[in-house]
Amino acid sequence: MSEQAIVGTNAPRVDVRDKVTGQAQYAADVRLPGMLYGKVVRCWEHAHARVKRLDLSAAAASPGVVRVLGPKDVTPKRYNSSVLDLMVSESMHDMLGDIDDQPIFTEHVKFQGDAICGIIARSEEAAERAAAKVVVEYEPLPVYLTAEAAKAPGAVQFTPEKPGNRAFQLPEAMFPNNALGGGDVEAAMREADIVVEDAFYVPKQKQCQMEPHAYVAKVDSGGRLTCWTSSQMPKLVQRKLAKLFDLPMNLVKIVPTVIGGGFGTRLGMISEPQACAMALAVPGHPVKLQTLREEDWVISPSRHPGKYWMRIGFKRDGSPLACDARFENYKGGYYLDASGTAFTAGAWLGGMYRFPALRYRGESYFTNQGLTGAYRGYGNPQTNFVLEQLIDRACAGLGADPVEWRKKWHKGVGDDGWCPGVTYPSCALDECLDRGAAAIGWTEKRRKYARQTGTLRRGVGVAVMNHTSGAMPMLLEHTACTVKLNEDATAEILFACSDMGQGSHTALKQIAAETLGFPFEHVQLSGGTSDVAGFDIGAHASRTIYVGGAAVKKACEEVRRQLCERASLQLGVPAEQLDIRDKRIFVQADPARGIDAEAITRAGVYHFVDPATGEPGGVPGQIQGYVSFFAPHNSPPFGASFAEVEVDTETGEVRVLELVNAHDIGRAINPAAVEGQLEGGIQQGLGFVLSEEICYDADGRVQNNSFTDYKMFGPEDMPKITTILVEDADPIGPFGAKSVGESGLVSPVGAVANAIFHAIGIQFTEAPITPEKVLKGIRETGVRDYGSIGGGR
Amino acid sequence: MKNRDITLHINGEEYRLNVAVNRTLLDVLRDELGMTETKYGCGTGECGACTVLVEDKAVNSCLTLAATMDGKRITTVAGLADFGRLDHIQQAFVDEAAIQCGYCTPGMVMKTASLLAQNPDPSEAEIRHALEGNICRCTGYEKIVKAVRKAAETMPGRAAAVEPCKEVVQ
Repeated sequence: MSEQAIVGTNAPRVDVRDKVTGQAQYAADVRLPGMLYGKVVRCWEHAHARVKRLDLSAAAASPGVVRVLGPKDVTPKRYNSSVLDLMVSESMHDMLGDIDDQPIFTEHVKFQGDAICGIIARSEEAAERAAAKVVVEYEPLPVYLTAEAAKAPGAVQFTPEKPGNRAFQLPEAMFPNNALGGGDVEAAMREADIVVEDAFYVPKQKQCQMEPHAYVAKVDSGGRLTCWTSSQMPKLVQRKLAKLFDLPMNLVKIVPTVIGGGFGTRLGMISEPQACAMALAVPGHPVKLQTLREEDWVISPSRHPGKYWMRIGFKRDGSPLACDARFENYKGGYYLDASGTAFTAGAWLGGMYRFPALRYRGESYFTNQGLTGAYRGYGNPQTNFVLEQLIDRACAGLGADPVEWRKKWHKGVGDDGWCPGVTYPSCALDECLDRGAAAIGWTEKRRKYARQTGTLRRGVGVAVMNHTSGAMPMLLEHTACTVKLNEDATAEILFACSDMGQGSHTALKQIAAETLGFPFEHVQLSGGTSDVAGFDIGAHASRTIYVGGAAVKKACEEVRRQLCERASLQLGVPAEQLDIRDKRIFVQADPARGIDAEAITRAGVYHFVDPATGEPGGVPGQIQGYVSFFAPHNSPPFGASFAEVEVDTETGEVRVLELVNAHDIGRAINPAAVEGQLEGGIQQGLGFVLSEEICYDADGRVQNNSFTDYKMFGPEDMPKITTILVEDADPIGPFGAKSVGESGLVSPVGAVANAIFHAIGIQFTEAPITPEKVLKGIRETGVRDYGSIGGGR
Repeated sequence: MKNRDITLHINGEEYRLNVAVNRTLLDVLRDELGMTETKYGCGTGECGACTVLVEDKAVNSCLTLAATMDGKRITTVAGLADFGRLDHIQQAFVDEAAIQCGYCTPGMVMKTASLLAQNPDPSEAEIRHALEGNICRCTGYEKIVKAVRKAAETMPGRAAAVEPCKEVVQ
């Protein structure tokens, strides 16, 4: 293929007409005849308790109630609502330590909101009235909200499988001394002229996807369990539910619904087990389970908070010698994703700069906070907040320009990425830094704001990041794709990986149309239900375009090959000398000679004998392409963010004036969709660093489970945004594309923190950097001119 | 629970209903009438996903008791399109790539309709202010603000009167 006509354009989004007219069907919009309504009764009083007595009799007698289900009325099997256990080989299970520790209904409450029992009724209102009649007596247990508290001697054990309440630490068998990295950190630190070191705290951030979790489940007359869910991993949820309820996978069907935002919260399951347990109790009757916003807030996993300590040593000339770090994160009451973030936070750290010696230790501890799990960025914003601030502290001490230092020392092509042995095939971070710096006016503003007077102080800051494109080689990277040609030479693609709303199905359709040489409008792409679509690991780890797109491309190439082979018989020219454009197969050297694809596809399906000749016309058989694709590599994206802030030194308020997000995404398949990811990422990154945190009282009850009390950046809070797409085609990704789904939120975190440092000469070790913390910092050290600061010791 | 007889005029159609007095307009639209285009996001008036027009004014249908809506003209996002033809606001949201997951979109579009009914030529600052009660977690609001502005510029019969968007200094 020579030029690309469809890839790289803002092709019309395939899902937006339904969404803008209200026809898109989210899980809560599913309505089935005879539908019953489920309600999970949750423990709101305690974050840690044992159920002493559960009396369901009054609830069962409540009007409209069909069934009440306690812990003994459902399978005693436990589950792990996340999916890492399905993504690694059996031999890795012990190392990752994933356990099934979640019951459908519990007798040991491990966080506020834990599920106690379920009600099935004829209406939502009847279910809620019955729920109020459930009598539960609790024996309160000590509440542990931090790792220190949970690991203290004598603490109640969350599960016998994890003594000391340590859910996870990097396993010795894979990481000697339980540390990721290499080289002699202690020896290297002794050589250092400057060492920067601090203990940070990173906050618990909520995804705040706009669609609260909702499900419909039904068991049909054949005994098949069907679950309508907006999970971003329909195939893995099928397997998880089959295992939990001891059903063969053919008797579990997942119908993926339109996803109303995910950002990690739909990775794996949330309340599918409860919804399906209810459906199994009333075979033949669909049960709908709608979670309320305040309920969704506490039951769906959030970003891992915790303590993050780091020290970095440098030579006087600025060269980094060693980085030593430890992230001790606070899980909620159950295991899910305990291994993932504890590892990846260090992986992104290792992937960023050329540290000759690196030692990263990651641990997860059970606490009685709400659950933690996947959230867009998956450990990366935590690392960005810590690493990028320490780099700037060192730059201040070294007298180095933060942009120039990063350009000199970031990893690039040929270096190991976040996983040793998987090298970076492409890196355009220098261009991101150059173009971002120019866009924000870096040189001029760094000079101008170094010395200021007055109440309002401005600053500009920079931060960089690397992320991932799929999870190879750590996790299984497998996607199946089927492409079928209709007799009129239009294509139907079946591909189970969900569109999270980021536009992936549109971009995949562009990749397919481009590869086939068909018009965009003549390609259809469907996610399909789990009984129809092939395997796909799910929409996570920013993999949908890089891995899924490569699968779609490969399946389309197979279709293209078959078309060209059949055309070759008619044209008398070898297939490899043919090309396809606009559904016409033609000889590359003589474009006037060709045949319409439709003539081939029609003859393949309607394969009749020609009455005149007595011979069949064309080659028989409907053309289909199928691939069961395993990603051969991983081409991480890079990004640089620049922030300009204004700090009010009297109120402590930080106003972000401008945010430039320059990202090396390889190739933008659909530029408007890519911009959308970077713009939306900024909103979440700003929240992480400045305003968002779930807070608990001393008893572990969440204090801000609403949009009023949990502050996200609104339309008036958002700064001027500039997105810069740096397109330096990756040699491996489909049409040069790398990922963009998660990365947009990462480096705005460090950039804002560093802009504050530039503005008032103070670094903040706890995110979010709220006005209270700014004022406290100013009271403690006074506002300092950046130009007068020396960093480190 | 007491019930009350009411008449609602929804998207040009008349509906005679007998509703419990504690039912919200959102409940009635979604559960009783099956009009699922209006979304439940929080139930407490914080997110704006359930925004509909009552007469020409945007309201949170989750905070509005249906029984108080007797005789009112109600418009949902499904009432804007003319049998498959998008109206100018919907078209602007499509054209400006202002839709990602789409869950906030019905509310955003209705809030835009209300804003433009009151102020056909809003500045960027006025648009951002008007959208404060509508949360989007996908877009960073950037393309939504552009879409609202484009909707103003393409409002039928007003296109000539509205200046192209002026950049507003933050």
